[in-house]
Amino acid sequence: MAEAGQSGVGAMIDLSKCDGCKNLAVPKCVSVCREKNAANFPQPKEPIPLNFPLGTNEDWSKKKQLTNRLTPYNWTYVQNVKVTEKGKTAEVSIPRRCMHCDNPPCANLCPFGMQTKSQEGPVVIDKDGCLGGAKCRSVCPWQIPQRQAGVGVYMKLAPKYLGGGVMFKCDLCLDRIRKGEVPACVEACPQKAIHFGSKEAMRQLAHQRAQEISGYIYGEKENGGTSTFYVSPVSFKSIHKALMDHEVDGKNGRMGMKPLAENVLDSPEGMAKQMLFAPIAGIFAAGMVAYKTMKGAE
Amino acid sequence: MANPKKTVKRHCWSNLFTHWSVAISTIVLFISGFGQMPMYARYGFTKIPGFSWSGNYKITLNLHYAAAIVLIFAVTYHLAVSLMRKEFSLLPRRGDLRESWQIIKAMLGFGKEPESDKYLAEQRIAYLYIAVNVMILLITGIIKVLKNTDFYQPGASFIFWVSNIHNAATFALLFGVFGHLVAFVFKDNRKLLPGIFTGHICCEYAKHRHSKWYCTLDVPETTDQLPAVQGEILTVGD
Ligand code: HEM
Ligand code: HEM
Ligand code: SF4
Ligand code: SF4
Repeated sequence: MAEAGQSGVGAMIDLSKCDGCKNLAVPKCVSVCREKNAANFPQPKEPIPLNFPLGTNEDWSKKKQLTNRLTPYNWTYVQNVKVTEKGKTAEVSIPRRCMHCDNPPCANLCPFGMQTKSQEGPVVIDKDGCLGGAKCRSVCPWQIPQRQAGVGVYMKLAPKYLGGGVMFKCDLCLDRIRKGEVPACVEACPQKAIHFGSKEAMRQLAHQRAQEISGYIYGEKENGGTSTFYVSPVSFKSIHKALMDHEVDGKNGRMGMKPLAENVLDSPEGMAKQMLFAPIAGIFAAGMVAYKTMKGAE
Repeated sequence: MANPKKTVKRHCWSNLFTHWSVAISTIVLFISGFGQMPMYARYGFTKIPGFSWSGNYKITLNLHYAAAIVLIFAVTYHLAVSLMRKEFSLLPRRGDLRESWQIIKAMLGFGKEPESDKYLAEQRIAYLYIAVNVMILLITGIIKVLKNTDFYQPGASFIFWVSNIHNAATFALLFGVFGHLVAFVFKDNRKLLPGIFTGHICCEYAKHRHSKWYCTLDVPETTDQLPAVQGEILTVGD
């Protein structure tokens, strides 16, 4: 129940080892992810409705083959960027997917309670109940979940007028984890760049590796803490800049790596504490007023 | 025939404060709640100049929390004041359903309107309906706030029920508030409107529509007497 953010599983992604599988047409982690999840991919029925009144929808079903961004048919992808730091240029390959955050705004803020952080740690979307409002994508610091129109419960209601599809993203192979196996990408990586284990073990491993290569960690503090720890020989400040300049194209499915990315729930959490005092103040004010009335009536 | 400008005090400032703090916070909760739904971008509302903020979840979420604080304050204040002063005139009584049907019939020109106390039977029913929905929203809302913090992550099906009860109560309350406002479209009810802004309503109206209440007021027969404690007589422009 509580503390899911503290216990549970995690991953360490060693960017000093990942070479982006440049010898392959599609990086290994991406291709096994697609194979493993093929049965979970959306199968929309034509014609896919356009949303009233904007006349738009998000349909990736004709671009299933895309592997260079996140889509409903591609839940992990590898970013390749040249990063210049301290006069040296390094090539960095970064496998990207959901970070499985400790206090995930995507799940917390789902208006219909269709996204949850599982006991094991992975954050999962219930594709049978999701209406595709894409709020989870907007509140995620990396805009991870991706929408496919023409599938899901909204098709049974009033598709043109309500909802927009279903959101899809990595679930860290929760079914495999429950069987005691590791996620498909972890197993497939030829460089052994993705480590998997208890979240705390992964955190330690990340710190140990960062020390060895005098590198940097990403994912430990971002969005209030996640269960994915990237370790890189170059700083994430420089990586983020390079990604924003050369990778992010303003369309869905490509994201930066902003250091210390904030959690949208931070400032409301401050207010939640003030909420505790509201009833006390209400009763206090009532006491004053009632006392005055009684005195007045004497 | 008494002077039609003569008014009688219907609401003390504490009631006015309660009504408006509940009303305004509720309206803000509706607006920001629908922003959380997520409706404004979906329906192109964010494209209207000046309304692009409505699609920003950070803004609508903070707005929702701020208004929730005001609502929680107002509701506890209302409950505590009512209990301490033993004011229960808004609580439904036995026979209110039948009586409100009679009032509606009378408003449509059939039969005679029953004598009413401070509030009409349908006002008491409306109060209960609105109060129950506000309480449901308050309780589920507080659970939602807790769930958004770091230290409380309840199970999936609990979150599902809490979220969807919050949603259903939103629509039930919207219906109630809509009905509440539509009531003032009817001329017979309209004379109550000044009361919720100034605290005073027309004396003559109170006498014939809320006769039972009027009788309990310490209203002097002539205006030159000193105003009584409750239900003082004022003349507009005095
Ligand atoms: C008149 C009262 C209220 C109305 C009409 C209302 C309406 C709504 C609506 C329509 C939503 C979006 C759908 C959803 O997320 O379930 C929402 C979300 C929310 N409401 Fe309310 N609400 C009210 C009162 C409250 C109160 C008193 C609280 C807190 C004490 C609260 C806390 C929340 C929270 C935290 C959310 C954000 C989404 C989430 O965390 O899942 N609400 N509200
Ligand atoms: C979300 C908004 C609101 C809520 C929850 C609310 C709730 C209530 C409740 C529970 C009552 C007492 C019972 C009744 O008369 O039905 C009341 C009385 C009243 N309300 Fe509202 N109200 C809201 C908005 C408004 C607005 C916008 C107006 C007018 C512009 C208004 C005008 C009145 C009047 C005139 C009364 C007094 C009736 C009397 O003196 O007997 N209300 N309200
Ligand atoms: S990375 Fe984004 S989608 Fe994944 S858990 Fe965190 S907020 Fe949610
Ligand atoms: S993480 Fe492993 S499988 Fe994925 S691109 Fe890097 S080297 Fe290839």
